[in-house]
Amino acid sequence: VLFFAVYRELAGTHELEVELPDGSTVARLVALVRERPGAGTLPANPAVAVNQEYASHAALLHDGDEVALIPPVAGG
Amino acid sequence: MYCVVTRDPIDAAALMQRVRGDTDGAVVVFVGVVRNHDRGRPVTGLCYEAYEAMASRRLQEISEEVMARYELGDIAVSHRLGPLSIGEVSVAVAVSAPHRDAAYQASWEIIERLKREVPIWKRERYGDGGEEWVEGNVPPPAASS
Repeated sequence: VLFFAVYRELAGTHELEVELPDGSTVARLVALVRERPGAGTLPANPAVAVNQEYASHAALLHDGDEVALIPPVAGG
Repeated sequence: MYCVVTRDPIDAAALMQRVRGDTDGAVVVFVGVVRNHDRGRPVTGLCYEAYEAMASRRLQEISEEVMARYELGDIAVSHRLGPLSIGEVSVAVAVSAPHRDAAYQASWEIIERLKREVPIWKRERYGDGGEEWVEGNVPPPAASS
C-alpha cells in the first residue's frame, strides 16, 4: 500500500506491505490500514487506486496488487 | 502524443514545436505558472509531489480520450515535480489541430481533467514561514475502472 502527500504524513510511512486473503475488498484493506497505531486519522473513505487505476472500495484484491491511497489531487 | 511528469524545467516552446504539423492551422499552448499568492496569503514557493507512474499513465489516458473526441493533430502535456519558485512553469499543455475551435476546447478539457484526476499534490510555502498541502479535488470515484 502506497501513501502520498498528506496521507503519507498521517500514516507516518510511504509504503506498507499488508497480508490479506486473496479476493479481499479494498474496503477491508483500508479498514486494516486504519487500525495501525497512528493511522486512525486517515479518512475512512479515501480515493484508492489499484495497479495505478482508480478503483472502488468494492473492488477485489489479488496477490501482488499495488494499492495506493490517493488524497484529493492538486496538480496544475 | 507526449505525456510526462518531470523534475526538469518545462520548455513550452519546445512542446509547441513537438505538436505542430503542416496540416494544423492552430496550436494552443496553455502554461501554468507559480503565482505569489493563494487565497489571500503571500506564497514564496511550492513543491509538487506525484504518484509518478500513475500520473503519467493518467495523463496519457486523458490525452487519448480527448484525442478521440476532437479533430486534433497532436497533444503534448508536461507537469513539473519538486520545488518551484515564483514565476516558474508548473504545467504546459500543447494541442495542435487543423482549426482553432478544437484546439481550444481540447486544451481546456485536458487541464480541467488534469486538475481533477491526475495524482499530483502541491505543498505551498508562505511568506510567514508556514507550509501547507493545498486542498485538492476528490478524483471521480473509480474514474476508469
